[in-house]
Amino acid sequence: MHIAEGFLPPLHAALWTALAAPFVAAGVRRANRLAREKPQAKLLLAASGAFAFLLSALKLPSVTGSSSHATGVGLGALLFGPSVMALLGAIVLGFQALLLAHGGLTTLGANVFAMAVVGPWVAFGVARGARWLGAPLAVGAFAAALSGNLATYLTTAGQLALAFPDPASGVAGSWLKFAAVFAPTQLPLAVIEGLLTVTIVNFLREYSGDELRALELWPESPAVEAR
Amino acid sequence: MKGRGVGWLVLALLVALGSALLGGLREGAQFAGSDVRAMAVVNAVQPDYRPWTGLLWQPPPEIASGLFALQAALGAGVLGYYLGFKRGQARRRRERADDGD
Repeated sequence: MHIAEGFLPPLHAALWTALAAPFVAAGVRRANRLAREKPQAKLLLAASGAFAFLLSALKLPSVTGSSSHATGVGLGALLFGPSVMALLGAIVLGFQALLLAHGGLTTLGANVFAMAVVGPWVAFGVARGARWLGAPLAVGAFAAALSGNLATYLTTAGQLALAFPDPASGVAGSWLKFAAVFAPTQLPLAVIEGLLTVTIVNFLREYSGDELRALELWPESPAVEAR
Repeated sequence: MKGRGVGWLVLALLVALGSALLGGLREGAQFAGSDVRAMAVVNAVQPDYRPWTGLLWQPPPEIASGLFALQAALGAGVLGYYLGFKRGQARRRRERADDGD
């Protein structure tokens, strides 16, 4: 989902940057408040950022014969809510734009909006929905991470479609073209991200009951209470 | 619980392996990045579009792989530190509880 440097017209680049900036600012505020009010969760916040750092560094081969990568932002959204992930995701994408020639500074706003805003919010919403439906935690975590990953890439397809509408079929036709590039490649990777997220969530349930309680996550979950 | 934790991880590895093998069977599979392919679609939809700005700095290929490794290492390092720390904490707590009996 890294739109390469210069691949959004200036107006689009500026608009996406303006849209993403307030989310990142809110993420900074939220991270500061978390550190102040729940200092015991600081290390877990760092670990969630590290998870995104690790997963987004690994380009994985996919069934389509091309490669792409997981985003890793679903886990943090699940644990801390979506807003703090705007900051963590922006750090990951900033690192990649500056040092890895992956993405770019003019497209950073658009990329942050896709991976660090839409992805975490979708993941968070799906996790909430799964809980409301009474699904087991592992199922909720899996579905959240998977849909956050896919939503990120579909958003990128939308951003590209708005900037480059198809001369014949318009924005919608263009979106289908970009989504057709991303979605089939992304699907197995989203499944992998979901499974890895469940692995970490299971570990947390076993060993990090204190932090989970401090975050008031799944307060009714007996597995957390039993620890 | 412990067994189940490893089970999910193994399943993730199997999906990754299967996906890579199936992908490799495709004709001319080079595992090009989907980002790169999407930028090619930009050129197909609007052939006269030219990126209006380039990268500030691009690492030489040999260095880039090192920086990618650095990103993964930082992530895995911090994550591993956390996981090990929590496990040690839980064991200490259990041992202290045993001593108390």
